[in-house]
Amino acid sequence: MRNRNKRVQLGMAAFMTMTVAFLMMPVATPVYAEGSPGLPAPTSDVESSFPAQKHFSPYAGRNFPTQAFWGDTHLHTGMSMDAGAFGARLKPEDAHRFARGEELTSSTGLRVKLSRPLDFLVVADHSDNMGFFPRLYDGDPKMLADPTGKRWYDMVQTGGQKGVEAAIEIIVAFSQGKFPEALASLPGSQAYRSAWEETIRAAEKYNEPGRYTAFIGYEWTSNTGGNNLHRVLVYRDGGEKASVTEPYTTLKPLGSDNPRDLWKWMNRYEDKTGGQVLAIAHNGNLSNGIMFPILDTFTGKSFDRAYAETRAKWEPLYEATQIKGDGEAHPFLSPNDEFADYETWDKANLDFSVPKKNDMLQYEYARTALQTGLQLQRELGVNPYKFGMIGSTDSHTGLATAEEENFFGKHSGVEPSPERYKHPMAQTPNGRLESYDMVSSGLAAVWARENTREAIFDAMMRKETYATTGPRMLVRFFGGWDFTAADVKGRLPAYAGYSKGVPMGSDLSPAPKGKSAPTFLVAALKDPLSGNLDRIQVIKGWLDEKGGRQEKVYDVVWGDAGKRKPGKDGKLPPVGNTVDVKEATWTNTIGDPELITVWRDPDFDPKQPAVYYARVIEIPTPRWTAYEAKRFGVTLPKEVPMTTQERAYTSPIWYTP
Amino acid sequence: MEQFLKKLIHEPLVQFLAIGAALFLLSGLFGGSSVPQSGQAGRQSVRIVVTPGQVQHLTAQFTRTWQRPPTETEVKGLIDEYVLDEVSYREAMAIGLDRDDPTIRRRLRLKLETLNEDIAAALPPTDRELQAFLERHPDSFRREPEVALRQVYLNPDRRGGKTDAGARNLLARLRAAGPDADLAGLGDPLLMLPNDVPLSTGSEIGRLFGEEFGRSVLALAPGRWEGPFRSGYGLHLVLVTERKPGRLPQLSEVRTEVEREWLFARKKEVQEAVHKKLLERYTVVVERSPVPGEKGSAVAATLPATKAR
Repeated sequence: MRNRNKRVQLGMAAFMTMTVAFLMMPVATPVYAEGSPGLPAPTSDVESSFPAQKHFSPYAGRNFPTQAFWGDTHLHTGMSMDAGAFGARLKPEDAHRFARGEELTSSTGLRVKLSRPLDFLVVADHSDNMGFFPRLYDGDPKMLADPTGKRWYDMVQTGGQKGVEAAIEIIVAFSQGKFPEALASLPGSQAYRSAWEETIRAAEKYNEPGRYTAFIGYEWTSNTGGNNLHRVLVYRDGGEKASVTEPYTTLKPLGSDNPRDLWKWMNRYEDKTGGQVLAIAHNGNLSNGIMFPILDTFTGKSFDRAYAETRAKWEPLYEATQIKGDGEAHPFLSPNDEFADYETWDKANLDFSVPKKNDMLQYEYARTALQTGLQLQRELGVNPYKFGMIGSTDSHTGLATAEEENFFGKHSGVEPSPERYKHPMAQTPNGRLESYDMVSSGLAAVWARENTREAIFDAMMRKETYATTGPRMLVRFFGGWDFTAADVKGRLPAYAGYSKGVPMGSDLSPAPKGKSAPTFLVAALKDPLSGNLDRIQVIKGWLDEKGGRQEKVYDVVWGDAGKRKPGKDGKLPPVGNTVDVKEATWTNTIGDPELITVWRDPDFDPKQPAVYYARVIEIPTPRWTAYEAKRFGVTLPKEVPMTTQERAYTSPIWYTP
Repeated sequence: MEQFLKKLIHEPLVQFLAIGAALFLLSGLFGGSSVPQSGQAGRQSVRIVVTPGQVQHLTAQFTRTWQRPPTETEVKGLIDEYVLDEVSYREAMAIGLDRDDPTIRRRLRLKLETLNEDIAAALPPTDRELQAFLERHPDSFRREPEVALRQVYLNPDRRGGKTDAGARNLLARLRAAGPDADLAGLGDPLLMLPNDVPLSTGSEIGRLFGEEFGRSVLALAPGRWEGPFRSGYGLHLVLVTERKPGRLPQLSEVRTEVEREWLFARKKEVQEAVHKKLLERYTVVVERSPVPGEKGSAVAATLPATKAR
């Protein structure tokens, strides 16, 4: 067997026992069955993904999502107070233009362009202190009579350069106090336009169904005590609906720092407008143990079913990787996983006010949270942590850069420069974050049928998404009961995937009679611009007979398989390393461009709830710091990592007994 | 009447003057009088009057957030916060906390620039202007050429030194079999990419196979197996089955796009012009301490009105 045993025994909460009520629960429901708490109603997009009948022609009935669309759901611009303070001058409009592939000038004056455009973007500026801007409002015919107005009018009519001159004259006249008084006596209801309207306007202008999706969104930045509980809000709707309400803030009396209140606000928005909105939490690693707790942080008591239902309903996704650290796994929680310590940020909470303690970690990382979710499902009947995975940047530069060789940093104070590595990314009296700790990560991949707000949003709701740390590898992950080796031989693995199983983000159907273990079809194709693939792993989390959290990492398929076999200890040898750090280059002479296999869980126990996801690992490539050193001819301190093994995390597939 | 007003609102002049008027109004509301001068502590205005208009604004904001009006207690909470904001604002301004604060300086610059953009945006372009813009920037609006293709993949990693020979053999076989060649079992597996790619632009093909490959296949004439071409995965033999040339669309097809681009260009133009105009009103002197080993201490003037000394 190719598997490597990785068993991690974790503490089990005493109250997590199987209750009689649990045993009496009906058997697991199929995907999106009616009444699945917390799950959205099936969309037409999903319904037709599962062909009711098979066709002779493999091309007939192919209406499943065939494209992975790439985006960043978490980008700040100069409209965010903190981004502005760090010098970001780019606005939402610039952010969209950049994401669409245009070359522009960064806030620090550098020319910058993406290697390839993104397919979608959420400009998510902080809702707190979004503020207002002077507003253009409706006029009054009286103004037409003024002689200065008449002159401006003529200039405007002439158009071209004259029009520009008129604009300048107005501004200068105003700033010099020479604005004609006769033009000033206007009634006006609203003297301001909110920054929110500005954000919406930019999204509306650049959204182009079929080519580029500009989502409307914002970030709700709950940060009490420096503990990160941030959420990014994404709208399915256009400006007509989104502008009906103001974004939710965290400061009382208008807002709140408690996610429950945010969910109430979301509910209110949907009720009022008939629109749809979802929330994506991020940086559990900076929450100091409150992102995925087992007890309600705000009351100290056990959660109730309502909490689990609302959280699962509003938060279908988790941002598992970004510039401020990777949040998939932690080496303390997964000591046998040699890939767990990836770009780990675990010194303290967000503002460094409280140092990290080991017992906080289990409530911060996605892998453990998925297992905690299984425990809470037993207790409450609903799994509050039933999330899919995406990555995003959380960049505050207006530039969605996640690639190692094109990394513009967390904020405009740490855009590329020969001095960048010397400057801290952030500094408080309690600690300092080095700029070279920044992670050039991540991206959100979404399997959808077309590039529109609706199709991508619906795919996010059904969790057919995955996270990458920057590269755009294609990853498929299907679960079912009768995948066989033949399914990876023919073309169109996705066809076998959808017709015989369920895609990432779904629930396994109940086991058919005679099937003793679930099977998984998993495939990955390298990013044409990035490194070959080292391996694909399936990570299984489950509850043992005592209800304790368990996890295991299986290597299921790997590159150079002809000459690379697991050793006696079951460990697969490392793929090797071709990186020339000095030159910041590598060769794709190791690993494989494509990996695909069918894997059957060898340790399956039908009585135990389980959650599976795939992790795809690239061969080593230069980290952004290597490009920095090479391009500026600088020498970085010895402790700075110069290579990386980029990766993808798929949304899980759940099994419920 | 309503029709008339609607029409009026879209008149450039009206929009134009409205902005100016708004600016003036804002200046009256917020410029100077209500804000005490820093240093003099503004003791003449220890009164804070919360006007019905302000209460209405607070209430409206709450209502827009929660989609219901606030209760009396909530209104009181909103007013209390507002008053505390106002007190803090006045006191902070009085002792000059606004000065030398990069956050505030940058925020104000952002606000000023947003204002300029509004004015730029208030002049809707004429069709003539848009047509001219389209003609000046054809590459921004050109519809890309499209090709449909079939491809067979060769994995150099697997074939090693025999890759080129393998490619030549395979190409000969494919040419013999022609455009309808059965591709099953030919070449090496690359299961996640299609053998048959429907009509797509170079950038769409580039998304899947890499940019270089997209460019190569776009240059091919249809009907004949060619290659090998390099992609991000290895080598490919390619048959272009159909080719649709690129073209410059009519304004009517891309009006929204052209208007968006026109507006963006206009905003930039106005922004730069305003910066220049405002700078003309200042004499900028850059003083720098001499750098050892460098001749002279004057720094080149980068701004039109900058004088080095």
